[in-house]
Amino acid sequence: MRYENRLPAEGINTSRVHPLRQFLQLAVGAVVLVVILVVFLQYAGALVARRIPFSYEQRVMERLDIEMGEAARHPEMTAYLNELAGRVSRHLPMPDDMSVTVHYNSEDVFNAFATVGGNLLFYRGLLARMPDENTLAMVMAHEISHVLHRDPVAALGGGIASTIALLGLTGNAGTGMAGQVMNHAGVLTGVQFTRSMEVAADDAALAAVNGLYGHVNGASTLFELFSASRDRQSSLAKTPWLERFLSTHPLDEDRIARISQQGVEHNWRSDGELTPLPVDFQRWLAVD
Amino acid sequence: MNGLLLQAGSVVALLVLGYLFGRLAEKRHYRRIIEREAQMQSLPVVASRYPPEDRAYQQQLVTGSVVIASDYFKAFLAGLINIFGGRVTPFESMLDRARREALLRMKEQALALEAAYVFNIKFDTTRIATGKVGAMEVLAYGTAMIPMAGTDGNAHEV
Repeated sequence: MRYENRLPAEGINTSRVHPLRQFLQLAVGAVVLVVILVVFLQYAGALVARRIPFSYEQRVMERLDIEMGEAARHPEMTAYLNELAGRVSRHLPMPDDMSVTVHYNSEDVFNAFATVGGNLLFYRGLLARMPDENTLAMVMAHEISHVLHRDPVAALGGGIASTIALLGLTGNAGTGMAGQVMNHAGVLTGVQFTRSMEVAADDAALAAVNGLYGHVNGASTLFELFSASRDRQSSLAKTPWLERFLSTHPLDEDRIARISQQGVEHNWRSDGELTPLPVDFQRWLAVD
Repeated sequence: MNGLLLQAGSVVALLVLGYLFGRLAEKRHYRRIIEREAQMQSLPVVASRYPPEDRAYQQQLVTGSVVIASDYFKAFLAGLINIFGGRVTPFESMLDRARREALLRMKEQALALEAAYVFNIKFDTTRIATGKVGAMEVLAYGTAMIPMAGTDGNAHEV
């Protein structure tokens, strides 16, 4: 047989697929998959977590014995915050078995948050900027509303369920950057849930503040303060729709607008007299 | 939030760069491969393990090796395919190029030795770096048959 040295035809060992088309199909598919998965698991996780009795949540937190706040060093501030929480709670539809404990932390952090077991933590950085009790009561009512709506435990449940699922989906070796991008898509989907919780907490808090003082004056001061503090920070994302989409909380201006809209809808007065903070408040703040 | 945007921006930028430069490099490489394959077609390379016995040959090992790494776009696309399954097409063309390039380099060596054949051709591939820097070596090797001076025979009969 005569040997013929022919070249093989092209394209046998490669597939004829346009890489961009394949990329778009897979990327859209992956994001849709993540969004559906996270939406489902956030709902399901939160639903299951909300069924955990509050008393059980409290017992678990007591048993864990996590050091929160500085009650020993700041007894007066801690007592005042708990007393205010008690007054605010009376104007919220709290079940009999539900109660909150307020902790004070002397760090200069402009924030306060509610966590599982009805524990609230207020930072000195936030309290130092409170112009009057009405503003502080609004923050307090907002955080207690989170406890009332069982948001901390729901967020924990939904968060754990979706994090485990995302880890299973993207944590396998080899997905690399694609896995990270999918993780971000999952986190952004989760963020959409916390925002709806914030709006619900704002609504409940406003009603409580109106019940407590007979008007809602000072309720939006906090968000004006937040807005001012954020303006001082340089931000790449100044586009409102983008900021709205990426943030865990509603935009400050949206919250202020909603507060005034709620006030009008319910016929709440917005010009009542502001209640000053206790005389010793600044002294309590100054304690190290 | 800024960090997230920055990361998203850098991913998009790297994808675009990876795609554009990767495509360009691949097109150019294929053109050169096809050109050189035509040029070196006269040298037969066979996988047979039995050497021709028509005349006296000097035998010598010839090798051609190439180390390849994927671009950002290919790696990202491969990551997506990893989730859904299927042919990892971005790596198919990459490895096809590597195999052919290795063979061409081996042929170059054989031609420099004035070989009439290369027989018992084999391919070998090894992962030489893992993690963020992924690279593979493709090695082609065979036995070059160099006709000894003074002997006669038809070099193109196997």
